[in-house]
Order: sequence, then structure tokens, then C-alpha cells
Amino acid sequence: MDVPAAGMKGPVQQGCTLIRHLTDEYDDYRHDESRSQGEAQSISFPTTEDEVRAVLRELHPSHTPVTVQGARTGLAAGAVPHGGHVLNLSRMNRCLGLRRDDGGAFVLRLQPGVILSELRKYLKAKAIPASGWDAASLQALGELREAPEQMFPTDPTEASACLGGMAACNASGARSYRYGPMRPHVVSLRLALADGDMLALRRGEVVACGRHLELATELGRRISLDLPGYTMPRAKNASGYYVHEGMDAIDLVIGSDGTLGVITELEVALMPVPPVMWGVSCFFADERQALDATCGLRDGVASAAAIEYFDPASLDILRVQRERSTAFSALPLLADDARCCVYVELHCGDEREALDALDRVGKVLRDAGGSEAATWVARTELDRESLQFFRHAVPESVNMLIDERRRTDPAITKLGSDMSVPDERLHDVMRLYRETLAEAGLESAAWGHIGDNHLHVNVLPRDMDDYRRGKELFGAWAREVTAMGGAVSAEHGVGKLKRDFLKTMYGEQGLRDMARVKLAFDPAGQLGRGNLFDESLLEGGA
Amino acid sequence: MRIIVCVKAVPSTTEVKMDPVTNTIVRDGAQSVVNPFDSTALELALRIKDERGAAGEDVRVTVLSMGIPDTERLLRDCIARGADDGLLLSDRAFAGADTLATSYALSCGIRHLGEPDLVICGKMAVDGDTAQIGPEIAGLLDAPCVADVRRLVACDGTSLRAWRGTDAGVELVEAPLPAVMTVAKDAAQLRMPSICGVRASLAAPVEVLDVAGAGADPERCGLAGSPTQVVRSFVPERASGGAWIEGAAAQQAEQLLQIVEGMGL
Repeated sequence: MDVPAAGMKGPVQQGCTLIRHLTDEYDDYRHDESRSQGEAQSISFPTTEDEVRAVLRELHPSHTPVTVQGARTGLAAGAVPHGGHVLNLSRMNRCLGLRRDDGGAFVLRLQPGVILSELRKYLKAKAIPASGWDAASLQALGELREAPEQMFPTDPTEASACLGGMAACNASGARSYRYGPMRPHVVSLRLALADGDMLALRRGEVVACGRHLELATELGRRISLDLPGYTMPRAKNASGYYVHEGMDAIDLVIGSDGTLGVITELEVALMPVPPVMWGVSCFFADERQALDATCGLRDGVASAAAIEYFDPASLDILRVQRERSTAFSALPLLADDARCCVYVELHCGDEREALDALDRVGKVLRDAGGSEAATWVARTELDRESLQFFRHAVPESVNMLIDERRRTDPAITKLGSDMSVPDERLHDVMRLYRETLAEAGLESAAWGHIGDNHLHVNVLPRDMDDYRRGKELFGAWAREVTAMGGAVSAEHGVGKLKRDFLKTMYGEQGLRDMARVKLAFDPAGQLGRGNLFDESLLEGGA
Repeated sequence: MRIIVCVKAVPSTTEVKMDPVTNTIVRDGAQSVVNPFDSTALELALRIKDERGAAGEDVRVTVLSMGIPDTERLLRDCIARGADDGLLLSDRAFAGADTLATSYALSCGIRHLGEPDLVICGKMAVDGDTAQIGPEIAGLLDAPCVADVRRLVACDGTSLRAWRGTDAGVELVEAPLPAVMTVAKDAAQLRMPSICGVRASLAAPVEVLDVAGAGADPERCGLAGSPTQVVRSFVPERASGGAWIEGAAAQQAEQLLQIVEGMGL
């Protein structure tokens, strides 16, 4: 929906003309991609950091709850309002400057509403909108034009996500197998606190002493906090506050689901596009072979940048869609004996290295019982696009299937898991999924980032009874995955939908410790209410 | 059975660079891809190979192109997808060819390879849009031509049967082999290479011939053999504006007539 122009409705409060009533014309801003619906009384669309601060200063005295929104592509309802005010940052979408760090890498300064797909376009064309940039940034832009093509490595499936939202939930994607999630690529950020004060954090400048952090705001307020004592899982993780001894303060804010402050600006590090990128889809007769191949690829193919999986049900759904829908008729044709698929993406310095990696992939396949002939190797742009279409068609097809079922029972929604486990528990967790799904008699389709032992197991409810039993099953999986040393949310964040799982993972004390951290930043508990933990933990304030 | 598939390297982008002096497309090879229509041609050839091969017949698919040396990279990619070998006609003397000189050169290449049962071309190339090469090759080989094939029904080694596009719709035609066939882009989707295919493409033979090697007459090749002379090329100006014709149908027709007469037509 287009954002209605400012001035269409009168301001809610006299002090800040940016704040509008959240009337029906703003209905889209009551929900996000999770399809959860929330409620709020007012909304604003600031375009600058100063405007964000003005809105926050206006709302602070009344302790009005504030929900921060970016592109609303989140799947955990983190941007769904919970009363109060919606602070929508989609109009803060300018690139602010460019510099080179000590190692020569390009570092781009952005407003939080810059959309990932736009950023990719800018980088591919080497044409970043530079209006208002200073001379040093313009010089760096000139250098970027002469340099090899650059990329930002974090690649969530939803490319319409915005960079601020991606930092807020510590987004990741297929290539996070090699490049990690969003966190390590954020060099600095500016955070507006609930009272409009600012916190500037630059990587390497403020680190914890043990588990104690001391921060100073721009107005001189000192934030002194003891970090929670829980241990982070040994698996890909986007569950709750990230903490460890001696940590960098910036890493606490990244992934905090909009509960500590409002990101008004961030710097992200770019990297050169690898000279050779090949994608290989490997097909297997059964899931056991695919799991063995995954372990083999992890051990034997150093240039793997992504290892993804599509289970038999996913491939069957694609076969049906290819026949039924013209939108999917361009999907590559699957062989009849292809039951499941492992996709590996190779990032290499040159073709010789890529060919060597391809040989290693071939050996892994043979060792796992697969065949080199049952592969698709995408080396051209067209073939890579075809494989990307194939990978993205799986969740899209499942959504279409669920939409069909919702016609008869509108209360049904897809139930998608987002859990991860340590490497050595991959076979165990797959056995858990398969056995419990079979016992419950539930229909499912699983796909996702198997290289990180992180699959999206989707229960496809046929009726409300299936839906209820699916939810129960997810609760049981959260307990089992936690016991395996895994994470209840590996990439979508906790938001409002996975609070119970977070409790399973960190326990009551862990949640209380997190709430204490939040209140040190946001003493009135205004920001991101309902995200991460129940409001009862914030009662009484700091 | 011998099938020859003609493929052309085309720019991967619509932003084509023109040489202001020769008025020809600058083909630096860096961003070239196989013409999408020719990809379809290759897939149809590979399907015939799969089908006839399963019936025990020996079917050989050769990809043929005329282009700069870098085009060999594209021919090897075709081999990775299932073709058996390739022939590249590469010589400065081939450069600047129009469709007549191109089809002559390709027909020399085809004759060099021996008598094929079937030559398959894309209906047209996305950079030239002439749709002339296939029919011209057929003329030079004195073979029947089935143009704009939408669906190949059968090819049994002695004849082919296919649905082809016509101005009125589609028609089912049958032609004896040897024949030339040109194919529509949507007739098939080119398969991807396998790991085995990529490996095979590294070792597969790709013969490279110059004008003399192809047994071609230099006077009929390249610019020298091209009766088409491009006098000037330019980016057309985008027309804007226009006039609205209003009123009843008869009034509109009258106004239209006046405009046409005013243009001296």
C-alpha cells in the first residue's frame, strides 16, 4: 500500500505533526508477513533521525508503547503493533555515505528503510544514489566504480526486507552458511532510545568486561548493565538477546527485535562478488542419502557458500504446481526418481577452483549413494536464475496450497518451524521430525538451510484439529531441540509468535534477565512491546 | 543419425553496443550467451537423441557456430548439456556478415561435417530478429525447411512431424529427412548440465576452422559476401504527443482520411 501523504489527517498530539491517527487507510500497518493482526492508535513515517527523535520525545512522557516497523516482511510478528504507536521507517530509505575501512573494504552508511533488493541493484549497477554526500564519500564512490563488483552477503529469501529490519532480527539466508548472519556485517549503528536520546555504537569501541557493559548516551546518560548468564547455543541462532563474555555492545542491539531502541542509521561492510559462483542441485532417492551428503559437503567442500535442502513432499508439491499453474510452468523438469534435493552453491576465485570443487561435490554424492548424473549445475546467469526460481517456488507453492485450504477453513495458517541444532545432531533432529510427524498423522513439507542444520519444517494443516496438533508438536520440538543444544529460532527472530519457545530455551530466569537488559535501555518498557517476552515481566519498569 | 544445431552468441543484455564506424554490433564476448531460440533448438535435438538412443539408435548431436574465438566457451556449455561435439567457424574474414553470408558460412560448416539428417536452428536471434538463417541454410542445402516449430511430434530418422506456426494459427506438417527445422522459443526448455556433462565438455572435441579450412569462398563470407549494407544506425527518438480523433465513427474516419491525405500518402 502506498503511504498516504502527510497532512491527510490531523495530528493526534499537538507537539509533533508527524504523528497521525491510525485510521483504516493505514490498515496494512496493523500486520506484517506473519499475517498476525495488531492494533495501534497512531502512526508516523519519519524521514530523518531528527524526526524519529521528535516522535519518541513526544510519546515518552505518556509512556506510549512504540512498535518499530521497516518493510514488514518479518515472519514472527515483531513489527505487528501492540497498542500505542507505529513508528514506520520505510521512508528512511536513503544511502548516506560510503567510505573504505583500514583493510580497504567498502563500508556503506544507510538509513534503516533501504530495501535489500534496491541495495543489490545499486551495487550491481555501481550506481548508488549519492545526493547530499560529502566529498570523501563521493571519492569512495568513484573508487567503488573502478573496483570489482561488490555485494552485501546476507540473503534472506525475502529481498524486499529492509536493512534496518534485517539488523533488528539478525536476518540470515542461504549464504549465511558461509558468510554468517547479518550481525558480523554491521560495522556501526545509531540507536534512538525511547526518550529520544541517542546511542552511537561502532564495532570494537565498546566491549563488555566479562558480562558487564557500560554505555554512555549522547546526552550523557549512563547505561550500566549485567548481561544475562545464559549460554548461547552452538547453532545458528536468532533467539533473544545475543550475549557472551567480553562481547561487543553493538552485537546486543543486533537481533534485539526492536526492544532496546530504534535503529536510525547503520553502516554495513560490503565485499567483492566472488569471481565464480556455481549452483549445484543434487537429487537423491531417499532422505538418508541427502543427510549423509550434507555432512560430506560440510567436511569436504570448503568453497560451499550455501547448502540447502528440499524434502520429498516439497518436490512433489512443485511437480503438481508445475502442471497446474502457468506461473510455475518454467520450472525445470524434475526426474521421476528424484525424491529429494540438496543444493550447494560454490563461491570460488576462478574456474579451475570451481571445477575442483565440483569434483569434490561429485565424490561426496557418490559416497552418499547418489549419482553425478542426477545433478543440475548452474554456471550461467540464466541457469542460476532458474535454480533460484526453483528454490523460491517451494515456499510460494506451499503458501498457495494453504490459501486453497483457507477457503474452506479461514482460521487455518501454515505452521513453519525455524529451529536449528549443532552439526552432530542433524540426523537426530531429522529422525525426531519424521517420527513425530508420522505419529501425529500430519501432512508436512520441509526445506531450508540444512548446512546449518536449520530446516523450515512446515505442517500443512487440513483442518483446525491438524493446526492444534501441529502447534503442540512445535512446542515439543522446542524442548527437544533445546536439549540438543539448538535454537528455537535460527533466523526469523522471536517476535511475538515464539515467546513461549524462548522460555523453553532460556527458562524463566533467562527471560527475567533479558527483561532487565531491556529496562536498562528502555526504563518505561515502551519499545517493541510483546516482542521476546510477556509484558508482565516489564511491569513496574526499571 | 546426425543432427546439427546452429547456435549464435548474442549479448546477454538488451543494452547492445554498436560500432559507430562499421554499424555492426560490438561482440566482445564478455557477456555473450547462447541465443535463447537456439537453446530450444538444442533441447529438441537432445530429446530426439534421448528417444532414438533409448531405441538403440546411434544419434550424434553437433553444435555449430560462427563467431569470435570466445564462442568456443558457449559450444562447450552446449556439450555439457548433452551435445557430442562442436564446430566453430572463426576468422576475421567471417566478420560483418549479413544473413546471406552467415548462412553460406554455416552451410560450408555443415558440409564439412558431412551429410546431416537434420539441421535445427532457432527461429531467429534476439539481437537480429531476422528469422532468415534457417530457411537460407535450407535453400543452400537444397533441403526442405519447416519453420517456426511450436511442437515436435515425431522424428524417426526418415521424416519429422511437427506443429508449426502460420499466420492463421498452427498446422501439422511432415517433411522427409534430411531437413532443416527452425524452432520457436517456447517449444522446449533447455536442460541444465550435470556434473558428468561439465566434465565431458572439458575433454570433448571442438573443431575451429577458418575460411580456408571450412572450404568457403572468401568472396561470399563476411562483409565481402554481404549484399546488405547498413548505411547508418541510430537510436530512434521516442515519439511523444499525438492527436485525439473524436466524434462519431463516420466523423473520425473523415478526420483520419484528412490526416493521411495531409501526409501525402
